[in-house]
Amino acid sequence: MYRLLEKTDEEPVASLLTGKVSSGMTRPLPSTVVSDLAKIVGHEHVITDPDRLLVYESDGLTAYRRPPRAVVLPSSTEEISAVVGLLHSNGIEVIPRGAGTGLSGGALTTPEGVIVGTARMNRILKIDVENRIAIAQPGVINARLTEATNPYGLYYAPDPSSQSTCTLGGNVAENSGGPHCLKYGVTARYITGLTVVLAGGQIVEIGGVGRDPYATLDLVGLFVGSEGCFGIATEIELRLLPITEGVRTLLGIFESVESAGRAVTKIIACGLMPAAVEIVDGPTIKAVEASVFAAGYPLEAGAALVIEFDGTEAGLDLDADRAEQCCLEEGAIEVQRATDPEHRVKLWRARKKAFGAMGRIAPDLLVQDATVPRTKLPEVLAGIDDIGNRYGLKIANVFHAGDGNLHPNILFDRQNQNELELVERASKEIMQLCVDAGGTITGEHGVGVDKRKYMTLVHGPAELEAMAAAKRVFDPASLFNPGKVLPEVEVKGATDTAKILATGE
Amino acid sequence: MRVDLTDSLSRLLPEEAFGHSVPSSLWTALRTDVETVVAPGSAEEVATILKWASEMGVRVVPIGTGAHTYPRYPRDPFIVLTTSRLNEIQHYEPADLTMTASAGASIRDLSTEMATHGQWLPFDPPDVPNRTLGGLVATGLSGPLWAGYGQLRNHVLGATIVCGDGRALRLGGKVVKNVAGFDILKVMVGSRGELAVITSVTVRLFPLPVVDRLLVLEATDVSELVSTARAVATAPIMPASIILSATSDGGRLLVRLHGARVSVEADQKSLEKHTGVSFEVRNTPEAESLLVQERGSGIDTELVVRVWALPSRIGVLLDLLKQVPGVSLNADVYGGSVRAYLPVNLSDIESSLAGLQKDIEELGGTIRVLRIPAEVDASSYFAKPLVDEGELAAGLKRAFDPHAVLWGIE
Repeated sequence: MYRLLEKTDEEPVASLLTGKVSSGMTRPLPSTVVSDLAKIVGHEHVITDPDRLLVYESDGLTAYRRPPRAVVLPSSTEEISAVVGLLHSNGIEVIPRGAGTGLSGGALTTPEGVIVGTARMNRILKIDVENRIAIAQPGVINARLTEATNPYGLYYAPDPSSQSTCTLGGNVAENSGGPHCLKYGVTARYITGLTVVLAGGQIVEIGGVGRDPYATLDLVGLFVGSEGCFGIATEIELRLLPITEGVRTLLGIFESVESAGRAVTKIIACGLMPAAVEIVDGPTIKAVEASVFAAGYPLEAGAALVIEFDGTEAGLDLDADRAEQCCLEEGAIEVQRATDPEHRVKLWRARKKAFGAMGRIAPDLLVQDATVPRTKLPEVLAGIDDIGNRYGLKIANVFHAGDGNLHPNILFDRQNQNELELVERASKEIMQLCVDAGGTITGEHGVGVDKRKYMTLVHGPAELEAMAAAKRVFDPASLFNPGKVLPEVEVKGATDTAKILATGE
Repeated sequence: MRVDLTDSLSRLLPEEAFGHSVPSSLWTALRTDVETVVAPGSAEEVATILKWASEMGVRVVPIGTGAHTYPRYPRDPFIVLTTSRLNEIQHYEPADLTMTASAGASIRDLSTEMATHGQWLPFDPPDVPNRTLGGLVATGLSGPLWAGYGQLRNHVLGATIVCGDGRALRLGGKVVKNVAGFDILKVMVGSRGELAVITSVTVRLFPLPVVDRLLVLEATDVSELVSTARAVATAPIMPASIILSATSDGGRLLVRLHGARVSVEADQKSLEKHTGVSFEVRNTPEAESLLVQERGSGIDTELVVRVWALPSRIGVLLDLLKQVPGVSLNADVYGGSVRAYLPVNLSDIESSLAGLQKDIEELGGTIRVLRIPAEVDASSYFAKPLVDEGELAAGLKRAFDPHAVLWGIE
């Protein structure tokens, strides 16, 4: 049963300070399990060599590290089913993993866990042009689906920043967003059906275009964003969109983030529907301009606002004119407009290269993620600024302003223990600030291990218990990615579980 | 089953919760004439009712207005819970394009309020008088505007619900991007009150389109319309909706374009080039009355089915369905669904449905009965409860409504 721990300031596992777990403690898998796994996927696709396991000890949030007992790389639904069946019947926890680009520690193994990676499941199985759907294996890279469907005049809309490396399976697990989700919506909108391997290895098909979506509960919707805790999606049916005819990109330079934020509110309020609205703040601009990615932004600028419209060519200039007017009314110093691809890339440069450029300012970067109602952006940004000043920490904001999705990036030096602690405390204050403004603790990066400690800021015990109950429906023995999302879960004894699964009771 | 249960319940609730009426069609659908209706005035009162029902072993049928009925009825004692007294706008921030309202608020009233700020909810499910916000979310029906705006489930940002055992939960939030925990809210959308009673909802709104243009193409040859409709659905531009209606005498294709005037005009040209036909443009109010008609308003047949298949198979389905004498069809060409309004004078409704089911399944589609005359005993063709569809759904039912108190209707 789910049990909520007493709220304490010191978190047992999930914190930047204690997240590091030394290697060498991992208990090797029994040799019989290893050889049985090898029989399913082939000897070369079961990794147990400690040196090779190091690659899998963290995801994109490298503060949390722990090597798995083994990594298994199956190549089909049937192999995943057999692997999961074997591991679960031995009471061994399964940690699903895509490309490992996640930013919340969602793919971090438990001490007893085995990672099941989807790297070999990288085939697009079907592109159905007439129905505008594709079926892909979970290891397909996000951007590859768009490349593969472009020749048919189609593309896949969700575009997380990591789209050239992240996988569709990972996108499903995290319900990933991206800059263009303002107009087009997040991953959940595009997932129409799934083949899923459940606990114990059972294969189920849920949803699917052409099936009556009202015939049962929206299990696809519930599965998307379940962070590997409900099962592994092994085939993904996705909706494709026709490529838009034209694009206009605007870059507005402002004296302050607040005025840029007001311009965003004005643009949305006047009925425009931009494809993307992104803000890069002053500290970020300075970092970018000092780096090899310099885009020629004025150094004294307090914020840069990137606005993009797409759609029918004929209407775009009108939309761009109105947005430009909104920017100027809110005090934009200048507004540039791109119509050709080269210029567009240049205007996006500060936004796209922001994270890379920050390496110049500080050795470490904590990418935070939270959402607030769009109208609360100016006051929340001022509050974040204040938190940074109080802790003496540099915070650079790069964010999806159109949907209120903030990424306050805290810059620090891991070697400085004192600073690390300040980062933790500042992060928590930022989360509280966003929640108090009517927002939430994560807009697109997920909870993983990192944000479990903040879940009680937004959910009460009844809501957390309901989520735990949903997990038990899919994974009664908690053998899929345990210790994620929910603040604290008591895991049933592994041996009991093994018995239940082995005897089929 | 005849029951009078209000005695023990009346001690728990204020007087205002009783004495409410619901449409007589509901009683027909529920195969009863006993009007045991309770109208809670708050989420707390909803919880009181559900806890009472759990203890008493009484089933609860939650409704909005009860106008959109569904041919399943509980055989155990039951009461009807209407959300009609939960009807306030709790929060509306036009600049955020979000609104929170109680479940019983009527879509019509909410839309009036939104329109004063140039905003709307872009959903057009089959017509139901006085549809409520909670009812819309509980049925999960988006309507053909799904093509241009995505499904309803993607625009429900938050809700408060009371589970079958009386637990109140706050799901989601007020922001458009939110991945803080498992997305239980998604299973509530379209759950027809089988898991919980929805007490309030936060939705994402959209700016009203500057131009809402309806393109019309009429023809006696339905196959010709189908191929044009499919060409529209695979064109490089994305219309707001594509509806094809047909009878045995012919049909009509309706394509809705939303946007600024220049882009709508360009979209129309590009569609005409792509399909090789020229459309007639209908303006409001004529356009509006056509759309109302397409939502099934004024069709009062007691026999309605919905068929689903891959959108590319829609022509095959229509070919099959239009052979039923006296049928009236309405297809969402993008979504891949057809509503068929069948004449009740079919010689033998049961065997006709059986025949249709067999043919449609052979074509790779599924059929579901939405409405059926009260006197027909065709229980095998009644839509099944959602939770009958597999172990996972049944598990969720147990998690949210452990005493199986809630009896959903569509």
